[in-house]
Amino acid sequence: MDKTAQIRIQLESRDPDVTIKLPENTGPILVSTGLRRIALSTLVNNLLENEKPIPFEFLINGQFLRTTIDEFLTANGISSEVTLSVEYVRALIPPSHVVSFEHEDWISAVDVVSQTSSVLLQDQDGTSSPIKDPRILSASYDGLIRMWSKSSDLLAVSKPTSGQPINAACFLTTSKIVSAGSDRVVRVWKYEENGVTGGSMQVSGTFTPILDLYGHRSSVDSISVHAPSSRILSGSSDHTVGLWSTRKSEGPQPPDSLLPSALPGAAKRRKLEQSAAFQPGPQRGPLSLLKRHTGPVSGAIFSAKDSTVGYSTSWDQTLVTWDLVTGAEVSTRRLLNPLLCVTEMPDLGLLATGTSARHIAMIDPRVDVRDVTGLTLRGHAGAIVSAAAEPEKPWGLVSASHDGTCRIWDLRSVRMDGKSASGLAVGGTGQVCESVYVIRRESIANDERKVAGDGIKVFSVFWDKEVGIGSAGEDKRVQIDQMVPR
Amino acid sequence: NIDPESLLPKLPSPDELRPFPTTCATLFRGHEGKVRSVSVDATGTLLASGGDDGTVRIWDILTGRNVWTKKLSSEEAVDVVRWRPSTDTCILSAAAGETIFFIIPQGVHTVNPEIEIASRAILDAGFGYEAQRAASNSEPRKEPAATWSRPLSKLVDNGIMLTITVRAPVKVISWHRRGDYFATVSPKGQSHAVAIHTLSKHLTQLPFRKLKGLPQTAQFHPSKPIFFVATQRSVRSYDLAKQELVKILKPGARWISSIDIHAGGDNVIIGSYDRRLLWHDLDLSVRPYKTLRYHDKAIRAVKYHHGGFPLFADASDDGTVQIFHGKVVDDLMENATIVPLKVLKGHAVKGALGVLDLDWHPKHPCSLSENSSVHKHYAP
Ligand SMILES: [Mg+2]
Repeated sequence: MDKTAQIRIQLESRDPDVTIKLPENTGPILVSTGLRRIALSTLVNNLLENEKPIPFEFLINGQFLRTTIDEFLTANGISSEVTLSVEYVRALIPPSHVVSFEHEDWISAVDVVSQTSSVLLQDQDGTSSPIKDPRILSASYDGLIRMWSKSSDLLAVSKPTSGQPINAACFLTTSKIVSAGSDRVVRVWKYEENGVTGGSMQVSGTFTPILDLYGHRSSVDSISVHAPSSRILSGSSDHTVGLWSTRKSEGPQPPDSLLPSALPGAAKRRKLEQSAAFQPGPQRGPLSLLKRHTGPVSGAIFSAKDSTVGYSTSWDQTLVTWDLVTGAEVSTRRLLNPLLCVTEMPDLGLLATGTSARHIAMIDPRVDVRDVTGLTLRGHAGAIVSAAAEPEKPWGLVSASHDGTCRIWDLRSVRMDGKSASGLAVGGTGQVCESVYVIRRESIANDERKVAGDGIKVFSVFWDKEVGIGSAGEDKRVQIDQMVPR
Repeated sequence: NIDPESLLPKLPSPDELRPFPTTCATLFRGHEGKVRSVSVDATGTLLASGGDDGTVRIWDILTGRNVWTKKLSSEEAVDVVRWRPSTDTCILSAAAGETIFFIIPQGVHTVNPEIEIASRAILDAGFGYEAQRAASNSEPRKEPAATWSRPLSKLVDNGIMLTITVRAPVKVISWHRRGDYFATVSPKGQSHAVAIHTLSKHLTQLPFRKLKGLPQTAQFHPSKPIFFVATQRSVRSYDLAKQELVKILKPGARWISSIDIHAGGDNVIIGSYDRRLLWHDLDLSVRPYKTLRYHDKAIRAVKYHHGGFPLFADASDDGTVQIFHGKVVDDLMENATIVPLKVLKGHAVKGALGVLDLDWHPKHPCSLSENSSVHKHYAP
C-alpha cells in the first residue's frame, strides 16, 4: 500500500444541529487514505474550531467507516480518483442497563411520560398537570396496570377487572391513561397522585376507571391516542380498527349485545362476581369501527403531522391508510408477510412496520401503493412486535422482538442488497439497514441464546429523551437502558 | 447426444417456492408429559392442545401464552382436540378415554357475549330435539350408540357444556366443514369404531359396522357428501347420500396412521407407521401417485395447508416435521408437483415417540407441531 496515497473528501452532515455545521466554503479536502475514524473526527473538530471535541463517526455510501479509508475503498471497489462524499454524524453511544422493575407476570406494554415526552400536550378537558418526575406505565398479563417512578418505586396498581390480560396501555395525558386487553374493552382511567416528592413520604397513586368503551368483538391488541382531539385508535383481532372519543359526552351508546349484561343468568353472575371489587366506568360505544383488514389488526396510529389520518397494520399483510374524518380507506399496501406493529418516523416521512418474518419494512405512505419500499431493517431472529422512534432525532429507531432483544437502528446507515430485493419488496430497490446496537435482557446472562426467545420475548418498547429506552416482555421485567456519554 | 437428465421434468428449487415454515417462532410450555394433539382455531389466533396430563390447554398463537387450561381426566390422556370449524361460535371438542367433551372456553378473547350465546345455542339445540323425540316415540329404545349429556354444574361453570360417551376410547375427531356433523374413530370399538354424530340432534349413527380391518382414522370430503375411512391397509370412500362405497385406495402401506384430503377433493395424502408418505390422485389410480420415504421412524400425522398455500407436512417419531410443496392443478392433464422443502428438527424424541400431531395456520404458511411437553410454532 502506498502510505502517501491521498483522496479528496467532501464532508457533509444532515444533522439539524447548527453547532456541528461546517462553513459552506470548506470544499473538498485532500486527506491521506491511511486515516481512520479517530483522525477524521479530530479533523472535523478542528474545522468546527471546537474547544471540547465531539466524537464523530463517518458514513460513506451508507456504511460506517470501521477501517482505514484505503481498506474501505478496496473492500467496496471505490476508486481513489474520485471525490468521496463523507457524512459525519455524532458518534453513537452504546446503551447500558440502568434499572429493571420486576412484575408478577408477563408484561405486554410499557409507556413513559417525562418533561421531554410528547404527551404533555393537554387534552380538551385540560386535565393534564405539569410533571415533575418521569412516570413509567406498565400493563401486564395479570390484568393490571401499574405506575412506576424512574427509580423503580411502584406507585400504583389498578384493581382487578376481568382477570384477562391487558395487551396495550399508554398515557393520554399526565393524568389520564388508556388501556385495552383480551376482555375486548378499551378503558380510560384517571390517574392521581398523593404524597410529597423528594421528601420522606412515599408517593402513591390511584387509577380510577372513567370510561369503558365497548364495540370490539375480540381482543384489543394495540392503542394509540391523540390528546388534543380526544381520540383513541385501537387495533383488534376482530379485524377492525376502532376510533373512540375519550370524552363521555361524545361517545355513542355501547352495543348491548357485547356488554357483560348480555349474558344469561349464571354466566353473567359469575362475571360480576369476578370483578366485585371493581367499579366500572360509564359504558360507551365506538365513533366508528373501520373495516378493511381481513386479519387481526396489530397496530393503529395517528399520523404525527395530521391527526385526521391513520395507519393500521394487520396479519393480513397489509398497511392501510385511513381518512379518520370519513372512516374511508385511502390506500392499502400489500407486503409479503404478516405485519405485527407500526410506528411513524415523522421527520423521514416513513412508517416502520415489524413483520413475523424477522425484519422491519420501511414504507413511504406518500408514494404510490405499487411502489412498496425496498428498505428493510435486518438482524432480528424473531417476530418484531413493537418499535419506537428516537426522540428529536430523525434517523433513530428501536425495535422489540420475540427473539428476546431490542435493536437500535440508524437509518442513515443503509446499503444496497441484491438478495433482499427479490425476497421482500415488490418493485423495491432492495436497501438494507443493519442494527447499530443490540439490547439483550438483563435478566439472563448475556451470552445465553434461547430458541425462539423462549422465556425472554420482548413485547413492547419506548424511547424517551430523559428516561431512555424502556422495554418489557416475557421475563416479567421492565428494563431501562440509557445512552450515557462516556 | 442427449443428456437423459434433461428429458426429466425439472422440479423448481425450494428457494422459488417460498414462503414455507423454516424457523421455530414460538414454544408453548405448560403440559406435563407428552402432548398428543394440536388444533388451530378458525380465527388463527388460538392453538388448542391435549396431552397425557389429562388437560386441554388453549394458547395465544403469537406469544405462546397459555390462556385457558382444564383438566378433563385424572386417569386418561386427552388424545385429540379439534375446534369446531366456524367463526360464529367458539367450540372446542376434545376426547379423553370414551368421552368427547364440548367446551366454550370462557375468558378466552374470542368468546364475546354474542359468541358465547351462539355457542351455547349450538350445543343446547339437541337437548330439545332429544326430548321431543323421546316424547313422540313410545317404542322401547335400543341401547343407544352414544350417551349425550349435560355434565355436572361444576363442569358447566368451567365451560364444559356437553359430553358424549361412546363404547371405546376415541382417538380421532373429524369435523364436517359446516360444523353440524362430526365423526369419531375408536379403533378398538369393533362395530362401534366409526361413528357419525349430528350435533343439532344429539344423534349418533354407526354406518360402518362391518369394516374389513382395524379402523384408524376418518375424514369428510371438503365439499361433497363423501366420507373417507382408513383401516390399517386401505382407505375407503363412501357416498353418504347414496350410502354406497365409491373407491378403495391401496396405498401399499402396512399400517396407516393418518390421512388428509386436499381442499380440491381429488388428492389424498396418507401417512403410515411403516415410514411412508403416500400421495394419491383420485383421478389416476387406486395406487399411490407418489411414495415418499424420508423418515427413519413412523409417520404420525399428515396435513395439507387448507388456507391457500400449496404446502403439506408430515410429523414423525424420528422427531422431525417435513414440509413439502404440493401443487395441485385443475387441469386433468397435469399431475401434482411435489417438492420436499424443509426438515424441521429440534423435537426431542422420548420413549420412541416423536412428533405426534401437527396443524397448519388457517391463513399463513406457518405450521404447529408438538411432541413432549413443548410444542412449536414454525414461521417462514
Ligand atoms: Mg388430477
